[in-house]
Amino acid sequence: MSSLQNTASAGEVVHPLKQPKPAELSPEMKLVQEALFRHVGKPLPRKEDGRLITGKGRFSDDFSLPGQTYAAIVRSPYPHARINGIDKTEALESPGVLLVLTGEDILADNILPIPHNPVPSTNFDMKLRAKDGSHAFTGPHYLLPADKARHVGEAVAIVVAETAAQAADGAEKVMVDWEELPFVTDTAKAAEPGAPAVWDEVPGNVFIDTTFGDVEGTNAAFAAADHVVKAEFHIHRVTGVTMEPRASLGSYDPETKRYTLYAGSGGAVRQKNELSKVLGIEPKDLRVLSFDVGGNFGTRNRVYVEFGLVLWASRKLGRPVKFTATRSESFLTDYQGRDLVTKVELAIRKDGRFLAMRADNLSNVGGRAVSLSPLSKGSGLITGSYDIPYATLRARAVFSNTMCTQAYRSSGRPEVTFAIERMCELAADQLGFDKLELRRMNLVPPSAMPYVNAVGSVYDSGEYEKNMDRALELAEWSTFEARKAEAATRGKLLGRGFANYVESSIGTPKERAEIEIKDDGTVEVVIGTQPSGQGHETSFAQVVADMLQVPVEKVWIVIGDTDIVSVGGGSHSGRSMRHAGTVMAMASADLLAEGRRRSAELLGTTPGEIDFEGGVFRQRNTNHAVDIFELGRRTRASHGTLRVVRDNEMHTPVFPNGAAICEVEVDRETGHVQIVRYTSIDDVGRCINPLIVHGQTHGGIAQGVGQAMWELCAIDAESGQPLAGSLMDYGMPRSDTMPSFTCEIAEVFSPTNPLGIKAGGEGGTTPALATVVNAVVDALSEFGVTDIQMPVTPATVWRAMNTGRNAS
Amino acid sequence: MYATTYHRPKTIAEAVALYEGSEDASYLSGGHTLIPALKNRLAAPQHLIDVRAIPELSGIAVTADRVVIGAATRHAAVAACEDVKAAIPALCGLAGSIGDVQVRHMGTIGGSTANNDPAADYPSAVLSLDAVVHTDRRVLAADDFFQGLYTTALAPGEILVRIEFRIPEIAGYAKFRNPASRYSMAAAFVSRHRDGKVRVAITGAGNGGVFRWSEAEERLADDLTPAALDGLALDPSLMMGDMHAPADYRAHLVAVMSRRAVENLGRTYIL
Ligand SMILES: Cc1cc2nc3c(=O)[nH]c(=O)nc-3n(C[C@H](O)[C@H](O)[C@H](O)COP(=O)(O)OP(=O)(O)OC[C@H]3O[C@@H](n4cnc5c(N)ncnc54)[C@H](O)[C@@H]3O)c2cc1C
Repeated sequence: MSSLQNTASAGEVVHPLKQPKPAELSPEMKLVQEALFRHVGKPLPRKEDGRLITGKGRFSDDFSLPGQTYAAIVRSPYPHARINGIDKTEALESPGVLLVLTGEDILADNILPIPHNPVPSTNFDMKLRAKDGSHAFTGPHYLLPADKARHVGEAVAIVVAETAAQAADGAEKVMVDWEELPFVTDTAKAAEPGAPAVWDEVPGNVFIDTTFGDVEGTNAAFAAADHVVKAEFHIHRVTGVTMEPRASLGSYDPETKRYTLYAGSGGAVRQKNELSKVLGIEPKDLRVLSFDVGGNFGTRNRVYVEFGLVLWASRKLGRPVKFTATRSESFLTDYQGRDLVTKVELAIRKDGRFLAMRADNLSNVGGRAVSLSPLSKGSGLITGSYDIPYATLRARAVFSNTMCTQAYRSSGRPEVTFAIERMCELAADQLGFDKLELRRMNLVPPSAMPYVNAVGSVYDSGEYEKNMDRALELAEWSTFEARKAEAATRGKLLGRGFANYVESSIGTPKERAEIEIKDDGTVEVVIGTQPSGQGHETSFAQVVADMLQVPVEKVWIVIGDTDIVSVGGGSHSGRSMRHAGTVMAMASADLLAEGRRRSAELLGTTPGEIDFEGGVFRQRNTNHAVDIFELGRRTRASHGTLRVVRDNEMHTPVFPNGAAICEVEVDRETGHVQIVRYTSIDDVGRCINPLIVHGQTHGGIAQGVGQAMWELCAIDAESGQPLAGSLMDYGMPRSDTMPSFTCEIAEVFSPTNPLGIKAGGEGGTTPALATVVNAVVDALSEFGVTDIQMPVTPATVWRAMNTGRNAS
Repeated sequence: MYATTYHRPKTIAEAVALYEGSEDASYLSGGHTLIPALKNRLAAPQHLIDVRAIPELSGIAVTADRVVIGAATRHAAVAACEDVKAAIPALCGLAGSIGDVQVRHMGTIGGSTANNDPAADYPSAVLSLDAVVHTDRRVLAADDFFQGLYTTALAPGEILVRIEFRIPEIAGYAKFRNPASRYSMAAAFVSRHRDGKVRVAITGAGNGGVFRWSEAEERLADDLTPAALDGLALDPSLMMGDMHAPADYRAHLVAVMSRRAVENLGRTYIL
């Protein structure tokens, strides 16, 4: 290993896949597995849709409480400015205004910073540290800062009034004495010597600087290589653009001394745990409700300051307080995504074999570190789908005067996939290899699974070349030239892009399922994940229904109320189906074991004599039988409710993978890009509901394509002001700018969990950036274009063509 | 949004009286420009005078040589009108290209024309089709109506009542949409009138808003073909520049869209 002092390795823990096989499955577990494997895979329409499209959804802003008041937030107009004082007088005199609170009040009331815990910490996460190896300073996140604002839009005061309009009027009358400070917003510039410091504690802004991998081995491989290909990419800043802007309603009950928060998020349990620390109370004294969530994509996984503010303000005021962000506020202050600058070098032997790789990844976290997931998740996957024996990665994170970043759909993975897949193209281009053959010869073969990559990630399973072949076939790759010729007759340049991908799904390891057989003939399942459109009410019900062999309409999923759901890791990192599915399977097995015991007693036999089929417990070779609901009713008095609680922890990550192909038409005169074909193949492990997985893939593709083509949180370099404050300037994918996708699911079961699940929510996004850019570069090849910065807007494409035209 | 008082007069006289009787009033039509501005607290009129219930402002009439459209007519109504389609298909196509379904069912031709957003579609049609703008007090030629970004000849309190388009021999509209807002980033409305005159109106691009491109008109008057515009360029310093399209790109797009409008006479071309 390397001689560097701060070198860390993720491979130090003994990986479960490298350990001896686990013990035999219990008879119940076998039964649920068989049941599940017989029935899942059905494209059931979603149970929740009827409710949602008839306006019966329960989104955060739909909740109101008697005596409710409204909050408006005073935000910083500057990227970086000291708060020399805040005068509330005029605001407090404004009609209807009840309360104004600032950062000084936060300190006086001992309201603590949000304990974001930004450094991912499971055994399989890359260990990110400060340069000297210590735990990094990540910048305290007070609900309101007392010292200075570190990005445009940072909340500096809350105004509460009788009506929302009065609160907004009051907010305009809060006088902040600002002292503007030098600022830096650009990722690379923030890390340059002499950049204005966002935090005095970290003069150079770089607060994480860790090197992974075998430095000496990499150096030696580079020295021996025939070719070295180098490039630098900026995977730019985007934001989640949820349909429902974030909202929260906080209420404090002085009698019970309990707080209640209605706030849609990625998981109510995290909100409860972190916000109780902010308020300095026991977790049990805070109830968080999160029902329907109108889009998350990662933006809602972490705690927002307004969530804490409404709770605190409610206590001070003795009335409920509601805050609902406008779309513009969401553009400014929803946690944003990506923003990675990566410098990559690939060492290649003359026959095309990849020998080693170096990457220098710099992640812009914004004004403080909310999550290092993007940097960390990408760090483990820099070598992509390829067998590259040596790699080193320098992973750095930098503060800047911008909104904080967070995990955003497929956190970190699209960034590194972009880098390695662009490198494949550049290498093929520069060294004269066929793009596909170069990839093919370097792919990790199935025989190498489980495969340990050069930075220590253990890929669980996958058939990468098969994915590639299938994708090429589905996309009709071989008949491209004919389509290109036809497009040329219309003044269009046809280009095609290809990208392989592998990603990881780790996520919070703990999950709990409670299953109860209710007297009314339904099954209630309590689970701690939080859907925001992923269809858990259907797919989870499907899992339990199949295992208990009851109709799916009878199964109800209960989520999002921390008084009912005590443990739960939330929904992120593609963890939900794998964690929830597994723990629900285990709970179902427990329930069946209990049912077997009770039915044996009821039927006067032994559990070993009981068979379970079609939802009925039956004494073997007899017609003595009792169905599961009847059993619940008949044994309630003697044995209590037929109900189980099961906890499960799963630490081993899974590695969904696949390939995506995109065909674009570029208008020769204007640079306008239209995607005309998009094909993907995604190995999600076992697929529970293909309809839902396809829906997830489609949404994921749109989100990845959106970043590649239009989306950009642009900031004016001169003023530090965000330029894309509304949908007038933030370009989004639309139905008429997307082609009809050809998607296929490949199921290579993961050996890491009993159901063989990987993940299906993010694979659509991961390769999309790379495949779109590869296609556009291919289309522009006749102009000598070899690389282009995303988003590939018409102006950017036109400029690239022009530069090419002028050069030749 | 600040507090405001909403009025819905039934006559022009009533509307004007309301306007003149208050210090800070604004006419409201489809609200798809004004309401977002109010919501963002960028405008704060104390009185909103909705003009949509005034009968003179509604209705579409097509005569032998005129298409007359009431100011409160929604984009969707123009887009779907068979008589307009028969007379000036490019005008229907233009109306049908505005925003999205919701916008087209609320936004009105009068609101769009009175607002004179440099990226709006209608001003190009008004100018190219040599329209006549009727207000509550006078009649204005299109050439005199538009006076720069968000500025028109309308006096404070003057109500745009209807727009009278000249039916051309043929007309075409070509629009390059802004990738984010989908307003025009460069669009050309080209008409050849029955008197043989060609009028080329450009929207979305000029730093003074909608304008006539006279060099293009001259060339096309002799030869109404895309090739007639070959080599003709606009001065980028007269164009708007922003994060979506720098001025030189806009100048280029205007030339391309003008050619495409000529290629698509009798139609609308949207990219
Ligand atoms: C999402 C979205 C997308 C859009 N996309 C496009 C697009 O692609 N292309 C495009 O051209 N437009 C677009 N628009 C604008 C849309 O066409 C507006 O409806 C239009 O510009 C204004 O018309 P309105 O009837 O809504 O006017 P309002 O918003 O009601 O009024 C606009 C202004 O005109 C004044 N006014 C209105 N009527 C009169 C009158 N009769 N006399 C005098 N003054 C009057 C008002 O006082 C106000 O100042 C879009 C709007 C939205 C919200």
